[in-house]
Amino acid sequence: MTVSDVLLLGLGAVAVGAALLVVTTRHLVRAGLYLVVALGAVAGIYLVLAAELVAWVQVLIYVGAVVVLLLFAVMLTRAPIGPSEDLDRPGWPALLVGGGSGLGLAALLVDAYRWSTVDRDQVGDAQRLGTEIFRSWVLPFEVLSVLLLAALVGAIVVSRPEVGRARPRPPDRGER
Amino acid sequence: MSDLQLPHINYAALAPMLILFGAACAGILIEAFVPRERRYPVQLGLSLAGVVAAGVAVITQAGTRTITAGGAIAVDGPTVFLQGAILALGLVALLFVGERSLEAGGPFVAQAALIAGSEPDRRQVVRPGATEVYPLMLFAIGGMELFVAANDLLTMFVALEVFSLPLYLMCALARRRRLLSQEAALKYFLLGSYSSGFFLFGIALIYGFAGRVDFAGIHAAALGSDRSNALLYGGLALLSIGLLFKAAAAPFHVWTPDVYQGAPTPVTGFMAACTKVAAFGALLRVLYVAFDRVSWDYRPVLGVVAILTMLVGAVFAVTQTDLKRLLAYSSIANAGYLLVGVLAMSKDGLSSSMFYLVAYGFTVLAAFGTLTLVRDADGEANHLSRWAGLGRRSPVFAAAFTFLLLAFAGIPLTSGFTSKFAVFAAALDDGQTWLVVAGVITSMVLAFPYLRVVVMMWLSEPAESTPTVSIPGVLTSTGLAIGVAATLVLGLVPAPLLDLSTKAAEFVR
Repeated sequence: MTVSDVLLLGLGAVAVGAALLVVTTRHLVRAGLYLVVALGAVAGIYLVLAAELVAWVQVLIYVGAVVVLLLFAVMLTRAPIGPSEDLDRPGWPALLVGGGSGLGLAALLVDAYRWSTVDRDQVGDAQRLGTEIFRSWVLPFEVLSVLLLAALVGAIVVSRPEVGRARPRPPDRGER
Repeated sequence: MSDLQLPHINYAALAPMLILFGAACAGILIEAFVPRERRYPVQLGLSLAGVVAAGVAVITQAGTRTITAGGAIAVDGPTVFLQGAILALGLVALLFVGERSLEAGGPFVAQAALIAGSEPDRRQVVRPGATEVYPLMLFAIGGMELFVAANDLLTMFVALEVFSLPLYLMCALARRRRLLSQEAALKYFLLGSYSSGFFLFGIALIYGFAGRVDFAGIHAAALGSDRSNALLYGGLALLSIGLLFKAAAAPFHVWTPDVYQGAPTPVTGFMAACTKVAAFGALLRVLYVAFDRVSWDYRPVLGVVAILTMLVGAVFAVTQTDLKRLLAYSSIANAGYLLVGVLAMSKDGLSSSMFYLVAYGFTVLAAFGTLTLVRDADGEANHLSRWAGLGRRSPVFAAAFTFLLLAFAGIPLTSGFTSKFAVFAAALDDGQTWLVVAGVITSMVLAFPYLRVVVMMWLSEPAESTPTVSIPGVLTSTGLAIGVAATLVLGLVPAPLLDLSTKAAEFVR
């Protein structure tokens, strides 16, 4: 067992354990913080696999932006910070679907790869990723910017403060 | 970085999408700079012009067979046919969306997320409507165009998100029954992101198997790869879950009735027609181009899904009392019939499925268009009991709706009959008798709820509370006329379109 094997196993255990805590804890805020741990561990796994850019993007976007957004949403909506006793929906359907697909996929991957090895000779640095994106994946990359634009419009539709609050109410044209 | 080789891009092949995305961006600028009162005609005109221009661009691509943009886009017969279908159906849907004479200010509000029933929300309900829906709709149509043309799984996933996000939002914009509309949008969004997750994990597994994500690469790897086949089957299963969710096939259909009911009716029509074309277009390409070598393995599984879909749609449609929910379950059942065509796995299966998509799309658009006309003081009256005796009050309207329902039921001389016939014939030719038997039986079950509505409209006495049928504006009348005419023409003379779809039915790999 090499050092990277040990690291991968350790980080994987942390990620899975934290993910379990996310869905089992009754504290909304703690769930968000466990999510930081889980996502951070995944970033660590990327780093061990020499995909440094992906690792830092993971830290920046997921740990940095998404979870912070989540915590802010909890803060701003005055959601209960303590244990929420009204989380009383039966958990078994979610357990069945989530656990079933999770364990099923784990079994599938274990069975598929067994003890085969994959060479890890190339480093996933920014240059290689950039070349790859602009050589083979230009179109999806550009369409992603369209997607972001659509999401931006959507965010404005959802959240824009009322425009023209002071204006007089337009006369009702009535309904036929 | 002088050694960076950019892929060759065939801009003519990309033109439909470029036009639509460009028009959508222009629409956003109009939102920002044109005064509120003048936005509506500008936005509507721009959207219609954008869709028509994209349609012209698609027609000029007829006969092209090429793969471009670094292998991301395949332009071939099915792409052109389905893109044309999406644009034609999208144009009709746009007519319903643009209608403003039925309800002061149109059926949409400006802000989706205001708390339903709060003071600002009640204010926005009486204000002339918002025009954000037009750029969102153009984004959605553009995403669908890309979805049916995608030649690798990553492009397909990006396109899936591009057309899904605007749809989630458009569901929340209904002027009436705000709470129901918001619930629909949230349900669609949460379940939709969950299914996107499955799709993405499927891509990961396929990549693990083939080492590539383009369809030709997967096709080549399916012949023999040193990886375990479990990755291939697992990946295909997860991909199918993502696509079948969008196509509203059981058991991934649970969102359909709620979302169809809560969304603004023109948007529901758009989803029922165009999303179905896009989802099945992508499913056809994935199954026929990338995974055709393992078709013997997945056919039984998808066959069971098809039968389950038809059964669920037909049986639950019988119990519905709301017309929008009834049409939602009918759309689920129709997804089942489409799957029968898809599983024929032959040229006939491909062409008949494409024909079915067009025929069903026009009929369902016209059906949802008619729903927008029957109104009382609270907006649309969709409860079945309210439609009693409508035939006595407005015979022309009731006759048109009866015709559409008979088309859904698959009565001869309507497009519903010819399209079902084409799909079942293709499946029979391929020896899928069990699917056809299930299809015929469920069709008979499904005829009952349609005929019940017909009987109710014509044979009941109108009650005091029977709602009025509004006189449709120019846009809605045009849309309805196109929908009903297409249903009739495709029933009487289906040959030209069938020929066209047969000629188009060849994928490029």
